[in-house]
Amino acid sequence: MPVNKADITLWVEEYSDSMYNWTLTRVSDPLIAEDLVQETFLSAVNAIHTFKEESNPKTWLFSILKNKIADHYRKQFKLETVNESKLSGEKDTDFFSRYFLPDNHWKKEYDLEEWTMPENELLDNTEFIEVLEKCLKKLNKKSMLAIQYKYLDEKDGKIICQELGITPSNFWQLLHRAKIQLRDCLNSNWFNK
Amino acid sequence: MKNLMQVFMLSCRQASELVEKKLLVGLTLKEKIQLKVHTSVCKICTQYEIQSTKIDNLFKKHFSITAFEENLNKSGSNNNLKTKIINALNK
Repeated sequence: MPVNKADITLWVEEYSDSMYNWTLTRVSDPLIAEDLVQETFLSAVNAIHTFKEESNPKTWLFSILKNKIADHYRKQFKLETVNESKLSGEKDTDFFSRYFLPDNHWKKEYDLEEWTMPENELLDNTEFIEVLEKCLKKLNKKSMLAIQYKYLDEKDGKIICQELGITPSNFWQLLHRAKIQLRDCLNSNWFNK
Repeated sequence: MKNLMQVFMLSCRQASELVEKKLLVGLTLKEKIQLKVHTSVCKICTQYEIQSTKIDNLFKKHFSITAFEENLNKSGSNNNLKTKIINALNK
């Protein structure tokens, strides 16, 4: 029996809360989160003929939602790229001189101790997640969006670059700066406080 | 006179950048060797590679929507949203 509009209304009742809560963790603005969930259901109605009866509605809806979130990140990323060209951000030389000596070796204070806690323990710890999110927010907007986009889906690196409109080398250079900061932040706020 | 090795060795800045390239798109054979040679003599970069990879894995698991689906915590109902959506669908 094909899915009809009444069924979709049931799906709204059943799944919109978890869809909204998920989206809120990824976009922080409640109004944007609501819009994205609403757009997901509107798209679902238009694409209902592609929904196979034996499929799981939750999985199907979440995959549409994931694409909506990805679209949102992509738009924001492109906006930030335009904004960035207008402002003068921190020069590369200034950034790297915080972490590296003139001969480009690490400064002594970045000789960090091992991080011993295993990953599954960390991800189950809500305090750690808070620290992780806080460190992420410390990055510049463009880097934060790039990272969120990269890990939202398990796509190939080259494809991610094409979708964001950035060359792979610019992307890994952006990630390089971001990771250096994240590593420092996580180290001082969690692992070797 | 500079040690010949030093002329060809990567700096830490270059090595750490290669780690990010590796995690994004992978390295050429030459780059793999360069990175290996550097980390074999540089304790800091060895640790950087391990920790950067760890951050990668944490992000992969934390941000992925599949991870969320498995850990669904009901943290509240948004009834206004439900009404809004149902109205929009019935237009």
